[in-house]
Parts: sequence; structure tokens; C-alpha cells
Amino acid sequence: MNRLGSLALGVWSALAYGLLYAPVVVTVLFSFNAPRGRFNLVWQGFTLENWRHPLRDAALTEAFFTSLGLAVAAALLAVLLGGLMALALGRARVRGSRSIELLLALPLTNPEIVLATALLNLFVGIDLPRGPLTLLLSHSLFCLSYAALILKARLAGFDPTLELAAQDLGAPPLAAFRRVTLPLLAPGILAATLLCFSLSFDDYVVSSFTAGEIVTLPLYLAGAFQREISPQIQVLSTLVLLVSAALLVLATPSRQSRS
Amino acid sequence: MSHVSPPYGRRTFLKRLAWGASGAVLAPALLQACGRGPGGNTGDGAGDGGGDRGGELVISTFPLYIDPGAPGAPGSVERFSKDTGIRLRYVEDVNDVRQFFARIRPQLAAGQPLSQDLVVLTSWMAERLIRLGWVEPLPLADVPNARNLIPSLRNPSWDPQQRYSLPWQSGIAGIAYNIKATGRELRGIDDLFDPALKGRVSALLEMRDTMGLLMLADGKDIRRPTWEEAQPSFDRLEKARRDGQIRRFTGNDYQNDLLAGNLAACIGWSGDVAQLALEQPDLRFLVPESGGVLWADVMLMPKGARHRKEVAQWLNWVYDPIEAARIAAAVQYISPVEGVRDILAKDPATAALAASPLMFPDAAEQKRLHIFGPLSDSEEARWEERFARITEG
Amino acid sequence: MLPLLALVPLSLSEPLSRFGLDTVFNGRIANYLEVLQTYGPILVRSFGFAAIATALGLVLAYPLAFAIRFRGGRWQPLLIGLVVLPSLTSYLVRAIAWTSLLGDNGPVLALVEALGLTGVLDGLGVLRDGRLLNTAAAVILGLTNNLLPFLVLPLVVAMERIDPRLLEAANDLHAGPLRSFVQVVWPLSLPGLGAGILLSLIPAAGDVVNPLFLGGPNERMIANTIDNLLLVQLQAPRAAALTLVLMALITLAVLLQLRGRGIEELPLP
Repeated sequence: MNRLGSLALGVWSALAYGLLYAPVVVTVLFSFNAPRGRFNLVWQGFTLENWRHPLRDAALTEAFFTSLGLAVAAALLAVLLGGLMALALGRARVRGSRSIELLLALPLTNPEIVLATALLNLFVGIDLPRGPLTLLLSHSLFCLSYAALILKARLAGFDPTLELAAQDLGAPPLAAFRRVTLPLLAPGILAATLLCFSLSFDDYVVSSFTAGEIVTLPLYLAGAFQREISPQIQVLSTLVLLVSAALLVLATPSRQSRS
Repeated sequence: MSHVSPPYGRRTFLKRLAWGASGAVLAPALLQACGRGPGGNTGDGAGDGGGDRGGELVISTFPLYIDPGAPGAPGSVERFSKDTGIRLRYVEDVNDVRQFFARIRPQLAAGQPLSQDLVVLTSWMAERLIRLGWVEPLPLADVPNARNLIPSLRNPSWDPQQRYSLPWQSGIAGIAYNIKATGRELRGIDDLFDPALKGRVSALLEMRDTMGLLMLADGKDIRRPTWEEAQPSFDRLEKARRDGQIRRFTGNDYQNDLLAGNLAACIGWSGDVAQLALEQPDLRFLVPESGGVLWADVMLMPKGARHRKEVAQWLNWVYDPIEAARIAAAVQYISPVEGVRDILAKDPATAALAASPLMFPDAAEQKRLHIFGPLSDSEEARWEERFARITEG
Repeated sequence: MLPLLALVPLSLSEPLSRFGLDTVFNGRIANYLEVLQTYGPILVRSFGFAAIATALGLVLAYPLAFAIRFRGGRWQPLLIGLVVLPSLTSYLVRAIAWTSLLGDNGPVLALVEALGLTGVLDGLGVLRDGRLLNTAAAVILGLTNNLLPFLVLPLVVAMERIDPRLLEAANDLHAGPLRSFVQVVWPLSLPGLGAGILLSLIPAAGDVVNPLFLGGPNERMIANTIDNLLLVQLQAPRAAALTLVLMALITLAVLLQLRGRGIEELPLP
């Protein structure tokens, strides 16, 4: 019975991974396709040609690195600001902090186009030219709620007297924060950074209004898909997966040894 | 947080190799844009911010709508810069004219100049900007080559005095179909409503193209479209959608579905299909018996644009038949410049294009092509609302 | 926050001209009535799709989270990472991949046909005339794929807090696996369930891409409508009204879910 249960659980889990990976597998597969024309949509035959110069599409690669840099910067900024907000909310045990939380969550319920047009009007209103700065600001902004909520949740499970105890033992406040609070927050910081990274990396609507002439990866893809589906796009996606998977595998044993 | 708006525009397509090369052309502009850094100087007009950068020309246009050039064979963007010494920033950031309008509207409404000296937009959007007074008259006195404009695109309804706009490219909205999937040649719009094709037909989200074709099939004059005359066509479209006859309303993505076999027939654009047919020989493009919709993408100078002299030089340059022929050979739409056909015919590599009825419709064919006329503000609001209810469920 | 507050007066205004940005505030409550009347069915559809996708996701995510937590052993971090990994492929690229999979000549339909299920699934309304792409089923499948990580992660985090010794104790007391699950695991995983539902339902109800790529005109969702109101119909006040209705409904759902607890009590990752 138990063995049967384990087997069923395994099969079911495999099914869940299957659903998660179905589009990814297709993407990887089509990076080896030899399309007849501009649209790499129908399987024609296996080739390694697309992989000979994986980064040959200069505009695509450029857009990818633009998005990568932007996502890292926006995630860090959002987590920094979100962390400060979470700390402030967590410390000040004021009435109404629950309503503030709700206010934090509200932007999540908002279709992106609404935020995008509002931000554009704001930037034009204060005469801030659309470019790297507005792009970074707007990305940090829509990540902020997620970061603050996640960090707030992490802080909630944490006993504030620990930090006080450290201070009582003679640690200056900054050191107490660094030695006690920060390590406790670390998993939350990591989760928030990853989530913000993926939100920023994948954003199309807000970018299209606040990017000026900068081309991020989703902006590039949305334009490119009107005229072609180049295998180089699938090659690049596969590369990103490979690199992330390698990082993941490398990270696994180190975590094990710590615990 | 994963949103994209539908690709409305009609764009053209080139081989992947060529596209890679155009990336090389764009890269300097990108590097320049990115290198400024987040905290950097914002005073010199990064983005749409405006500002004088002297000696430069900034153009916003649809992606891949020009010959991209290849190693050793520079494209138009490069050659123009070399010929004139003007630093040209050719930015392909118009993915969707409506989104572009939403982007530039706050600045133009506030009377602030854009950073662009020239924008390429679809004619009905041009008409809107002209009516709003958000464009400058073109410096046509300094564009002798403007006389090369083909007669069928002169003094169009969106710009009767030809003061504000010059066409960039033009094309036809008609029917695209896969003859293997339909099992027969199609003749007109009625074929799209054939029950045998149920669920394998799509129409365009571009209202003027879809409604224009349907109204032509109803025998209506689309040069002066009226709300009342459009009702039967709206009703027909609505019914077809309810019955599941129409599977989707699309932007350029009808091409994906045609190639993958999800569509048998659809409303599409001439240049797209001409190129798709090269890789899928069963595809056909048809100007329906009742007539096709002729559209144009045009060049406009937004209000407050600073580089009039450079704009004039660019316009004159792209209206030179030799340069225009290079662009036409790459994008394969209808070139607005007289004399392109003869130049293409002389070169064996492009002679086949000169014979294409989609690029050079003859006089009889041109009589069957109609431009969708202007709608007043309030009329357009009604049209868009009804159309949205049909296409957006 | 400020841009959101500005939506309130905007939703009660009327545009001064069709293309200008200026609106005049005149307390026009009719905006709300009009959007509810016109787009009510699309609102219902959006929450319906999101709810079905979330339910479908839970059926898959819950056992997966359980397996990762209690059977994952030393592979646990890797298994969690594998749940997040697909999100690094751009959603646009994934949407294109789905169209290849679900298309009329795609492998999924071929499999359905080979299993002789075409008629059955057509009868159940999953397929439409034997087709899968551009149907509700395709949109829901795409949504489920997108929200799965948001369900799995909070569930794993919640189960993380279940002491395995509790399970051993239950075993020692001769509780069957089912009984120990019902009495130990299930109640302790409930907060994770709540958080997961929130994190997946909200973005799913506001999704644009899946209905656009995988649906047809009958599958458009509310964020598509808001896009259209803003960009095509140029009806900013109505778009604002519809946005506020959407936000209110989602907030209501969140409050019901929390039922007086704070967000901090939910085991967010």
C-alpha cells in the first residue's frame, strides 16, 4: 500500500514537472530545428547550425544583456527599498499597519497597462526624459510590493528581542543588524530578489511606455515575433536555462553541507 | 505580470542573416542609449525627452521596414549617413501604432517636442495627428524628389493638400489562404464565410482593413465610410464570430497560424504573404472580386521637430528611385516612388519582383483598390467600440 | 500608490475630447454601470478561468510539494530550483511553444486522437470541433503552467514547518498514512495553501498573454479589455472604473482568504 502510494506520488509529481516543462522542452527542441523560412514553428529536421554561433544575432544578444542588467539593478533596488519598508513596518507596531499592508498588496491587483500609463503621465509631468533612469525607477516600483510583502512575512517570524539581546551584549546597533537580523532575513532576501528579477526580466507593458529608445528583451521579442521566429531566440533561451541549471546544481551540495 | 499587447502593425520580413546585420547597425544606438547609466545625465534628451542634438536626425519606425545591409553591402541607414554626414538614429520602436500614440500623447498634448524628427505611422493615425495639430508641415520645398510620388498616393484623404505627410510604403489588405487546406481557389470575401472553413478563418484586428474588405463586399463606398452603411458588415462579422466561423482576430501573427496549418484562410497583408509563399508554396494572396483595401504607412514630422534641414535631406534621399528600389526589393510592399519598377527590372536579381502584381498593381488592378476614408472623432469612437465588442468578446 | 489614488476621480470623469488627455470630473457613476453591464461577463470569465487554473494547479502542486518536502531528501533544494527554472524562459517564448504543442497538427491533439479521446473531450467541451488551440482549455492550460511555481513554493515552505517527528509519532500510534495525512499534514499545510492561492489567483485573473496567444475572441480576459479601453477606444475613465472594480474584487477575495489574519502569517517563500 505504502509502496503503491509512493509510486503514485512519484508519477503524479512527474506529471506536474511535465506540465511545467512542456513549453520549455519544445523551446529547447526547436533550437535544433532547421526551419524552411523565417518562422521556426514547424519541425523540419535536426541541425546544429543554430548553435554554431549561439550569440550571432547582435540585436537579440544586446537586448538580452540590457534586460539582464536592468533586472539585476531593479531587483536590488526594490529589495533594498522593500526591506527598509518591511523593517519600518515591522518595528513600528502601530495600529493600522495591517491597512498599510493591504495598501502594499493593492498594486499587485492592478493590470500593468494602468501602471504604465500612469507612470508615463507622471514622468512627462515632471519632465523626466524616458531612458535608463525611468526604466529602472518603474521596474523597481512594480517589484517593490512583492519585495516588501515577502520580507515583511519573513520578518514576522523573527523575534525582535534577539537583536535587542545582541545590543545588550555590547554589539553596536549596526553590527547587531548585520550579525542577527540580516542572516535571518537572508532566505527572504534571496526569494524576493529572484522573484523581482524574473518580474523585471519578463516585463513588456511597463517597459514599452517608460523605456524611451532602450530595447529590453521582451520589447525586442514582441517586435521580432511580428516578422519572424528566429531559432536564435530559442538558442538563447536554452543557453539561459543551461547556465541557470548549472548554477542550481553547483549550489545544491554547498547548501547540503551547511545543514 | 506578463503582459503583451497584440501586434497590430503590418510589417515586413527579411531573412535571418539580414536581420543579424541590421542588429549591427542598431547596436551603436543601443550602446549609446544604455551607456549613459541609470544615474547619468538626463538633460540631453534620452528617450522621448526632446532636446537639440544638432546635426542629428532621429527617426522612429516599425521594425525591419528597410533594407538592413550585410557585411560589405551597407544598408540604407548606413549609406545615408555616409552620403550626407548626418548622424542618423534610426529607431525601430513602433511595435504597435496605438501604443506608440499612447506613448507620445502626453508630451504632444503638453506642447513639448519629441526627440524624434520623423515618425513612420499608418495613414489613419497620421490623419489623427494632423487633425490634432500635432505635426509640422514637411519641408517639401527642399525635397525635389517628392515629385516622384506615384499618382495613386497623391493628395490622399488624410492629407488632401499633401503638406504633412509622404508615404513610406504602401500595401494591400486582402485574403491569404492555403490552397491545400481550402481545397479550392477562393474568389472573394464570401468564401471566408463558407461553413466548410468553420473555425479555420481569421480576420485582422486592424479595423479599417477588416471592415473595409467586408464593406466592399457589401458594395459600399469605403472612401466615405458611414456608420449606417457599416452596420450590415458589423452584423455579419459579429454573427461569424458567434458561430465560431472566425477563430481569431490577429495582428501579424496570422502568419504563424497559416504556416502551422491552424488557418485555412484569413485576412492578411500583401507583403507578408508574398514572402511567406516563398517558404510555403501552397499559400496564395487574393485581392477579392469586390476589391481590396489599399493602405499606406507615412512619414510625419511631429510638432516641434528641430532638424528640418536633415528631414528634407532624408526625404529627398529615400524618394530617389535608385535608393527607393533597394528598399522596395527588401521589404516587397508597394513602393510610393515612381521609377522603382524599371530599376528592379534591369537587375536580373530583382527582375522577378518587377513582375509582381502585389508590388506593382497594374491600372486595372489599381481600380479595384480602395483607401478607407476618414472617420470623424465621434464616429471613430462608435466604430471602435462596436468593433471591440466583436473582437474582444 | 499615488497613481492608483488618481484612478478614483478619473473613474468618475468624462473625457473632454477623444484624443486629448484632459478629462472633466463630473461624478459620472454611469461609467461603473456601463462597464459592469458591458464587461460583467468578461469579469466573471476571468475569475472563472483563474479559479479553474488554480484548482487544476493545486491538484498537481499539492502532491508535488508533499513529495519534495517528505521524499526529496538531499535533492530537495534542487527539486525546488527545478520548479522555478522554467520561469527564466520568457513568457513570450513559452507562449509560442504552447501554440506549437496545442496546434491543429500538434503532438497533443495527435495523442488525444491516438487514444481515441477526441469525441469524449469534444463532448465535455474541452475541445471545440476537435481543436484545442484558441479554446478555453488552452488558455487554462497556459495559466496553470504559469502559476504552478507560485503554488508549489508556499506549500513547500509551509510543509517545511511540519516536524517529521510528528509523522513518526502518528505512525507509532498506528495511524494509517491517510489518517496521519488528514490529521497532521493537511491542517499544518493550510496556510501555505492560502498563500499559494493568493499568489496565483491574482496574476492569473489579470493575465493578458495567455488569452491573446492561446485563446480566441471568446476567451479574452479582463486585462485585455482594459488594454483595449485605454489604447484603442481611448476611454481612460471607463478603464479606470473597470480597474477599480477588478481591484475591489481581488481585494475582497484576499480579505476573505485572510479572514482577519495578517499577511505576515502566511508562509510566503
